[in-house]
Amino acid sequence: MISLGSKSFRQVWLVDFEFVAPDGERPDQVVCLVAKELVGGHTMRLWEDELRRLKLPPYPVGADSLFVAYYASAEFNCHLSLGWPLPENVLDLFTEFRCVTNGKTLSSGSGLLGALTHFGLPCLDVVEKDAMRNLILSGGPWSQKEQEDIFDYCESDVVALEKLLPHMAPHLNIPHSLLRGRYMKAAAQIEYNGIPIDVESLALLENGWDSIQEQLIRKMDADYGVYEGKTFKQNKFAAWLVGGNIPWPHLPTGKLDLKDDTFKEMSRSYPAVGPLRELRVTLSQMRLSALAVGKDGRNRCMLSAFRAKTGRNQPSNKRFIFGPAVWLRSLIKPNTDYGLAYIDWSQQEFGIAAALSKDPLMMEAYRSGDPYLAFAKQAGAVPDNATKQSHKFEREQFKACVLAVQYGMGAESLAVRINQPVVQARELLKLHRTTYKVFWGWSAGVLNHAMLMGKIWTVFGWEIHIGKQANPRSLQNFPMQANGAEMLRLACCLAVESGIRVCAPVHDAILVEAPLNELDECIAKTQELMAQASEIVLDGFRLRSDVDITRYPDRYMDERGEKMWNTIWDCLNEMGSHQPVRQ
Amino acid sequence: MNVDEIEQTEEIKQNVGQKGFDLSSLRLSQDFGSMVGVKKVITTIPVHKPHKQEFVRIRPEDDYQFSTAVIEMKEDRETFLIAPELWSELPGEIVPKIFLTGMTRQGVLFLWSIRLPNADGRHDNWNRSALEAAELAKKKWVKVVSNMALGGYEVYEATGELPDPEWPDLSFGEIMEIAFKDRYITGMDHPVIRRLNGEI
Repeated sequence: MISLGSKSFRQVWLVDFEFVAPDGERPDQVVCLVAKELVGGHTMRLWEDELRRLKLPPYPVGADSLFVAYYASAEFNCHLSLGWPLPENVLDLFTEFRCVTNGKTLSSGSGLLGALTHFGLPCLDVVEKDAMRNLILSGGPWSQKEQEDIFDYCESDVVALEKLLPHMAPHLNIPHSLLRGRYMKAAAQIEYNGIPIDVESLALLENGWDSIQEQLIRKMDADYGVYEGKTFKQNKFAAWLVGGNIPWPHLPTGKLDLKDDTFKEMSRSYPAVGPLRELRVTLSQMRLSALAVGKDGRNRCMLSAFRAKTGRNQPSNKRFIFGPAVWLRSLIKPNTDYGLAYIDWSQQEFGIAAALSKDPLMMEAYRSGDPYLAFAKQAGAVPDNATKQSHKFEREQFKACVLAVQYGMGAESLAVRINQPVVQARELLKLHRTTYKVFWGWSAGVLNHAMLMGKIWTVFGWEIHIGKQANPRSLQNFPMQANGAEMLRLACCLAVESGIRVCAPVHDAILVEAPLNELDECIAKTQELMAQASEIVLDGFRLRSDVDITRYPDRYMDERGEKMWNTIWDCLNEMGSHQPVRQ
Repeated sequence: MNVDEIEQTEEIKQNVGQKGFDLSSLRLSQDFGSMVGVKKVITTIPVHKPHKQEFVRIRPEDDYQFSTAVIEMKEDRETFLIAPELWSELPGEIVPKIFLTGMTRQGVLFLWSIRLPNADGRHDNWNRSALEAAELAKKKWVKVVSNMALGGYEVYEATGELPDPEWPDLSFGEIMEIAFKDRYITGMDHPVIRRLNGEI
């Protein structure tokens, strides 16, 4: 037996695979496996033909064994391709290294090499060798010598895991580590499933993309006049801002801040900025060919679990269909006789804030089903019998105030958002502070702890360490974001383990898929599991969820991207494409 | 190790859902405030009448008000507390005042000083109306606005259901000490007294 923290295991296996997985595809060729048992010390090296003959993994995967890897979902994709079950206990040293160092500045990143360097361990053996990567990706056939080289290359990572584990072990809370490992299994299953894509429409868009971009600029820039050809002109944008009386943030250099995050932030206060942001993202960031779609017509890419500081997934914007260009999501289309459901927690951030701070009024507001109207009632702005219909204006104002608090907006931005004087916005923000005093007191405590003790954490121990440039707003928002991420991970685990076909986790939502005749049952089950996940994370407080259903032959449509999607298809039609209109 | 040598006897459940794994027991507290114990330290307490826009409350207990004599330096807009043993030596300078503990709706603690009647019992409208407003402020949120035509303060009472103020854990002595830490005169050699006497 080997003990790790409070847990003991009969066997601990350090595992690494080499495999070939073209963009958007499942690992279609598992080249080799090297696995080493930590206690006995013996190593097994199995080549692809041997692996294919196995119906079960060559190492135990039951309750008294531990599977150790670095970014384990890659290993689990190989398990799934080989038809093997996934191990019960998983210790992913990547997720643990991210947790131990989250928020700290790392000299060599969060990869295996970065982890070895961080602990002062020799790392030359794991430096990625392009020649070896290319040799593996060539797909073979390989000579005897080449096979040995590939085995040695694979084994170097296993040896690195063996070196790293004793250095990481003192930092680990094993039950929490195993929970993160459990998510890596769910993540692998989700990556393996992928998201169904309307490949015909994708091909049409790809073929006409150059011309579409020109047409798009012509159509959409008519409202802005900030493009010259395909170039976004800063001086013209500045003139548009002056004309619209929009105060835009500047960089220390004095130039306008043109980061996408700034556009995103500003579009909340100034809705006119929204379509321009969508156009910029579409033109500058998006290459349709980069979207990772496999031969089976499914978008599939690494979820990059635990990459964000909040512990959220951070998949590639270019490769993942849920990237920043919202209109692109309309390419999501269920297969024949299937349906999709996008299920998201209702007012998740408000609910988490209420439950964690234990603010009785905030919890009451969430439970009411309409926290915005409840806030207006609690603040005395509307009578107790007010409804969404009778006090629409007031409700909108209080809704904007709640969102402004969540986004960390000031009175000026809120005033623009609600089209009211700053004094009114300031009053609304003051009402939030006075109504939800318990929440604000708790939130101040979060910040105090972070600044005094140097770190804060989620209910399941995902930590953030406070560096030199602490951002108070982000730190105060961390419990909501990071515990939201815990909730999503747990819901994904519960759903995948219940046999639900999860296609993607998206911020505060899960996209699931089922045959049309099973879709309603699938949705009910997923919603119940999401509610259970919220109860576990929030110590008994249950969050509701909303559902957006897409049944074949309809396509998925996010209302924020609908206009752009339609505009793009108008462009295609005007270009004389004799293809059917896809709207 | 050869693949054929590998024993595959372990029964493996397809669904390794880790049932019975008690997640609730793994929860870490999110009550960060109670872990570090930070409390607000009040280092400054202004002494003034409420600003005309501010709604205020006055602490109702008798322990939180105090009548005494002060010297007001109009030029510097400063008020000095005078030790009682000096009162008889400063008959033309001292002013009788009552200090009341107040709090604004924004949670700012302050002392409201209101002039009391002179030795001859005269009391002007301004201070009489201020005292009436302070009395009302012991139960209600009020604001006081000066009305020159009236020659006194008009009092506005908030009609909404507003919560009572949360008073800090400070005795009145501590409040006075913070408010007058540099402005308490205990001897005739104090620079302010010497200035009044034309000695400096």
